[in-house]
Amino acid sequence: MRSMVDDARIPKPGFWSNWSSWEEADAQNSLGHDPLFVFPKDKLVEEGSNVTICYVSRIHQDNISCYLEGVQIYGERLDRSVSAFELKNVSFIRKKGTNVFCKVDQGGALGGIVLFVSKVLEEPKDFSCETQDLKTLTCTWDPGSDTGLSKQPSQSYTLFESFSGKKTLCKHRNWCNWQVAQDSQETYNFTLVAENYLRKRSVSILFNLTQRVHPMTPYNLFPKNVRATNATMTWKVHSIGNNSTLLCRLELLAEGKVIQQHNVSIKVNGEYLLSELEPDTEYVARVRCAYTNHFWKWSELISQKFNTAEAAPSEAPDVWRNMKMVSGHPTVSLFWKPLSKVHANGKILFYNVIVENLDKPSRLEVLSIPAPARSTELTLDQCSYQIHVTAHNNVGPSPASVIVISGDPGNEEVESGRVNGTEDGFSVSWKPQSGDATGYVVEWCDGPQDLPCVLQWKNLGPNTTSTVISSGAFRPGVRYNFRIYEISAKRMAHLLEKKAGYLEELAPSDNPQVVMSNLTSHSFTLSWKDYSTESQPGFIQGYHVYLKPKAGEQCPPAFEKTVLPEDSVCCKHTIDNPEQKTFVVENLQPESIYEFFVTPYTSVGEGPLDAFTKITTPDEYSHILIRIILPMIFCVLIVMIICYLKRQWLKEKCYPDIPDPYKSSVLSLIKSKENPHLTIMNVNDCVPDAIEVINKPEGSKIQFLGTRKSLTETEFTKPACIYLLPTEKNYSGPGPCICFENFTYNQAASDFASCGHFPVTPQAPPHQLGPLTSPENLLKALEQNYMNSLGEIPAGEANLNYVSQLASPTSGDKDSLPTNPPEPALCSEYKMQMAIPLGLASAPPSENSSLSSATLLGQGEHYR
Amino acid sequence: MLACLCAVLWHLPAVPALNRTGDPGPGPSIQKTYDLTRYLEHQLRSLAGTYLNYLGPPFNEPDFNPPRLGAETLPRATVNLEVWRSLNDRLRLTQNYEAYSHLLCYLRGLNRQAATAELRRSLAHFCTSLQGLLGSIAGVMAALGYPLPQPLPGTEPTWTPGPAHSDFLQKMDDFWLLKELQTWLWRSAKDFNRLKKKMQPPAAAVTLHLEAHGF
Repeated sequence: MRSMVDDARIPKPGFWSNWSSWEEADAQNSLGHDPLFVFPKDKLVEEGSNVTICYVSRIHQDNISCYLEGVQIYGERLDRSVSAFELKNVSFIRKKGTNVFCKVDQGGALGGIVLFVSKVLEEPKDFSCETQDLKTLTCTWDPGSDTGLSKQPSQSYTLFESFSGKKTLCKHRNWCNWQVAQDSQETYNFTLVAENYLRKRSVSILFNLTQRVHPMTPYNLFPKNVRATNATMTWKVHSIGNNSTLLCRLELLAEGKVIQQHNVSIKVNGEYLLSELEPDTEYVARVRCAYTNHFWKWSELISQKFNTAEAAPSEAPDVWRNMKMVSGHPTVSLFWKPLSKVHANGKILFYNVIVENLDKPSRLEVLSIPAPARSTELTLDQCSYQIHVTAHNNVGPSPASVIVISGDPGNEEVESGRVNGTEDGFSVSWKPQSGDATGYVVEWCDGPQDLPCVLQWKNLGPNTTSTVISSGAFRPGVRYNFRIYEISAKRMAHLLEKKAGYLEELAPSDNPQVVMSNLTSHSFTLSWKDYSTESQPGFIQGYHVYLKPKAGEQCPPAFEKTVLPEDSVCCKHTIDNPEQKTFVVENLQPESIYEFFVTPYTSVGEGPLDAFTKITTPDEYSHILIRIILPMIFCVLIVMIICYLKRQWLKEKCYPDIPDPYKSSVLSLIKSKENPHLTIMNVNDCVPDAIEVINKPEGSKIQFLGTRKSLTETEFTKPACIYLLPTEKNYSGPGPCICFENFTYNQAASDFASCGHFPVTPQAPPHQLGPLTSPENLLKALEQNYMNSLGEIPAGEANLNYVSQLASPTSGDKDSLPTNPPEPALCSEYKMQMAIPLGLASAPPSENSSLSSATLLGQGEHYR
Repeated sequence: MLACLCAVLWHLPAVPALNRTGDPGPGPSIQKTYDLTRYLEHQLRSLAGTYLNYLGPPFNEPDFNPPRLGAETLPRATVNLEVWRSLNDRLRLTQNYEAYSHLLCYLRGLNRQAATAELRRSLAHFCTSLQGLLGSIAGVMAALGYPLPQPLPGTEPTWTPGPAHSDFLQKMDDFWLLKELQTWLWRSAKDFNRLKKKMQPPAAAVTLHLEAHGF
């Protein structure tokens, strides 16, 4: 054992004493009766130390295992009952210490220690001392980390001043107060000693007290006499010693930025006049002070907010107008922009609009429009007016903004141009028209055309011929129209140019509604006249007409083959004139299916790919047929209608109920063409050979002709015909069914009548009519009669064969046959009157037979 | 038969188990005490985990079972089963009360030694709960008419690590304190459950009474 004095007052290095003599001790016997002991107990070491641990056991050592934090460690066996373990470079694990324990594997005996590892004590950093009032020194430092072991309290701090020899134990870890001595000690040499159980660290500073003055924060900072452009700031400071002067810095901030800075030397009260202020503006004044004798540190800041007073607006409002005719009267919409805060100099309460007629003297019209309105509307007449607009706040009016409106709007038609949009906006330029322009105005609407116009304008100087119009409201794909006005010396505006442009052109968003017309077998016409090129998201440069022909067919000549985005091939025709809104698709195949689609295109691209419209070209001749058939059908309809309307007349003309030979036009035709000597045979002139009176029911006739039933069953069930011999020339009493038979006529023709030519009596039985009961017999009879008649006809009378069939129940002869009351009238038999030319009659027998058959059938038809 | 029914209904308010307006007895207090022990068991499980980690290995190892070296003064919860069964209610409650009085005292000492604020908060919260359990046991004892055990002078448990008491042994004491506390809470749950069943009203008596009338 040896020793050394360790005191801060004794300069280092200290001196060690000599080693003491060795003493012997019997450790094992002095321990007690526990089976296992571990040493050293509760040792406190610094981080990085090497520690030797040993155990003493009363049992066999092979059964003992030792662990450091649960991990087995292996040591050196020193003795039969003692083993040692060396732990190198131990580190801090936890405040509650590192656990080392040994245990007997079977017996359950256990012994252990807790090794407390402390972090190395750090030297205090940033040690400094200062005073606020030259009475108390405050020393501060950064203590660094503290291990905070339960075995060892936190390190202590002691402040020692070498000149006075005083020291104080600091109550806080990072600061300490020191009372300045009354003996006006100026220089101080402080040593700060940090100490724990294991180590001691110190740091020293030497300084002059007056060079470590850190004044206290000023107080009572207030504005005084605040006006529109100036204000006085006052404040106070804590005095430091006697007659000490402080340097104070007064700063003025507007919108967070320092705009003025002033240094003021004061003892206790500070005052400063701040000038060049803006009216109606919020400012912040702040002040801080330092010791004038020796600058060490600024004090903390004190701030104060204040507002300057209002002043009259300093600038005329920016006014613009828009003229239009409402109900025949020129109406002016006046717009003005709110004055900026810099120029308003206070809250704008209202705007005054003074309207002065320049053409004739009249009273000034004054309108007062309360803020925040930005426009008004004036209805004027055809005179010229000068309009003054002023903005008013609490203090007074602004300078007037003057604008002159001409009663004659003039011809404002000017050429339109295009303007390109860039990221910065629209670069608009123009050509000056007259030399006396006092300025230019560019006017536009912020929104798209289909929205209400939010009129915007920009005033430009007289020497300007271009400007960049930028607005946060500009959007890509919207057409903006700019109008450039020239302001004359008389304050009148004249439209110079019109420009239209897009901030960024886009591809068309929709396609036109296409109407297809004039469809023929080889062409059709497409038109989209309703498509407006103005309201598109880009300048329409033209149109693409897409056509899908049927598979395998080539594109028409005006088209070129192209591939659509969906990889389908079709034909495309480009129309490069945006105003051409019709197109004729030609050279098509008849009876073919085509699909078409029209889309506009801009410089960016074409419109969306919509669905194709399908059409089928018609047949090549169908239109011709339609042209012919339709008029024919129409004509036929007309004729039918006329026939229907004139049916009575037609009936009389063509097929009267009682034909009148004298009225027959047929006769006149035959007469004129064939034989001019043809005359009408009068019945009265004929001498009848025989008179057939037929009386048979109508229904029986129908049966005979329609069903061809046997005559024995039908016609002769009731005697119908009465045959009269032509014995009396003047007999004029025709019965209900009377056949006149004249042998000067063709016998065959007369045989066609339903009446037979057999000279039978009325009482004749029906079977006597056998030869006519079948058609074959009838035809045979006809042939025979015909051949006979040819031989019997006299040469002088053979030029006309006439069969007269008269059965007129309406004639007056009916009274002459009282024996046949009403019945016969129902079965009056009609016989066709024919005038057959001789040539026709002399035809070969075969032909005559066919003719007779036809006549018979025609007769039958008539009955039906 | 009808007369019997009327007689039963007439005497029904007189049956103690069905008389709701009377004193509920110690039953609810015992139930609450039982619930509190279960809650404390749950709370201690979390606290012990945190605290044993704070002590470090081997104390936080699950199979660590050191000899009870320096924790002789801690009240033992383990008892022979026959002995436990033969305990009367008063003795049972008295042992509980005394055990928790001691354990609470040791636990407060543990709280003072804790180095971290979080751990101190957890320990303080648990001590408050344990104080509540102690009060609850006292309430049950009072309801049953048993006097509270008076601590003998000089036997007040103290938390004195002492110079001879090494830090390792102190950690062993802390370990055993938490372990005994856990065992005591488990035993108390059994105790109060037994007591609860014992104090339940004899509801079957009513049934038997009714059956006696021929129902």
